[in-house]
Amino acid sequence: MKVSNDINANLVTYSLGSCIGMVIYDPVVHVGGIFHFMLPESKLDAEKARKNPFMFADSGTPRFFKTAYELGAKKQRMRVIVVGGAQVLDQKGFFNIGKRNHMAVRQIFWKNKVMVDYEDVGGNVNRTIRLAIKDGQTRLKVSGREEITI
Amino acid sequence: MNDIDAIIKKADKLRPIPQVANKVMLIVQDPDSSIKDLSEVILYDQAVTANLLKICNSAYFGLRREIDSLHQAIVFLGMDQVADLVLLASAAGNFKIQQKGYDLRENDLWRYSVSSALIARDLAEMKGLKNNHFIFTAALLKDIGKVVMSQYVSDSFDKIIMLVSKDGLSFREAEKEVTGLDHAELGGLIAKKWKFSDNMVNIIRNHHLSEKPADSDIETSIVYLADIICMMMGIGVGSDGLAYRFYPDVLDSLGFSETDFQQIMVNFSVKFQKVEDMINKV
Repeated sequence: MKVSNDINANLVTYSLGSCIGMVIYDPVVHVGGIFHFMLPESKLDAEKARKNPFMFADSGTPRFFKTAYELGAKKQRMRVIVVGGAQVLDQKGFFNIGKRNHMAVRQIFWKNKVMVDYEDVGGNVNRTIRLAIKDGQTRLKVSGREEITI
Repeated sequence: MNDIDAIIKKADKLRPIPQVANKVMLIVQDPDSSIKDLSEVILYDQAVTANLLKICNSAYFGLRREIDSLHQAIVFLGMDQVADLVLLASAAGNFKIQQKGYDLRENDLWRYSVSSALIARDLAEMKGLKNNHFIFTAALLKDIGKVVMSQYVSDSFDKIIMLVSKDGLSFREAEKEVTGLDHAELGGLIAKKWKFSDNMVNIIRNHHLSEKPADSDIETSIVYLADIICMMMGIGVGSDGLAYRFYPDVLDSLGFSETDFQQIMVNFSVKFQKVEDMINKV
């Protein structure tokens, strides 16, 4: 998890498989961040979640947003992007962790009234996402395709 | 010469696995072998010894003192661990280079291979298996075919990705459809050429469970599962993405629940920074 207000900073999270990458950016105060989590629920391992809450959607997402608020970001001004949550072919039900990660994000956002501006999730691809703090430019590279600006 | 022959011929240009790796594999499989046998074999290869010491001194092990001799390495880390590290130090050359066909940057395939090997070893330990070295090595080397296939995948990438995205083929199936050979099959041929055991050749060839997934042996199942976990965690994944087949029966046959599956990911994630340090040391 990285949040910054340094206009020279370029944040990146490489190669998201079934993990989810969340990007937030407030253009007024130039505060933005990327949060990359691996699994939906921290109850799986409370001890490890205490040491590293950013491994899980439920324990990491609130902290991620709070860190941005502390730097002056406001929810209503934020651009929110969600990418990742891919799956291996034929991966269904409980083993489809990519889909479960995505469901976890939707649930947390719904409860906290966070609107998503752009989403690119699922499929059998991996994704890399970059954020420039200067202007909020966000670039997404999906495996097997050209990089795009979103 | 047809395409398949040309691809196989290209495999001759790989850096051969140092002899020391083959010897170490034999020693660790021999219950009567001793520390002396192991150190004598390793000392003979200075390049591998130097790499081995770098790995021992990485943050992965977090030792308080610097290890500057093979003897110390064996004393502090134990014979089992050192044997795995020799194989790691021997394999690095082929795996660290960029693989353009798979859109893998320098070190990506290496990161993927080392991580798979460590996860496979963890899984083997969880199952109480005795041949951990064997499983570690198979997982480490399973993608050697990609090093050669990369160029051919690059030449036919549009065709391959079309079969994956439009026709629902796995990346491996699409490789085979387009080039006549896939990276797992090719890996098996390379392993045979390098005189690996038949069992090792079979695991490398079948690490995506392309042959009879339902009755795969436990070693192949573990190597397969470690590969899937790496893919899902996005560790060193390239343009083939997650386009490989998932067989939930494998988890059942290994006795792993869905919670175990997630816990394995968590446990590996916790030590990943240290793994990264080790990966960069070689």
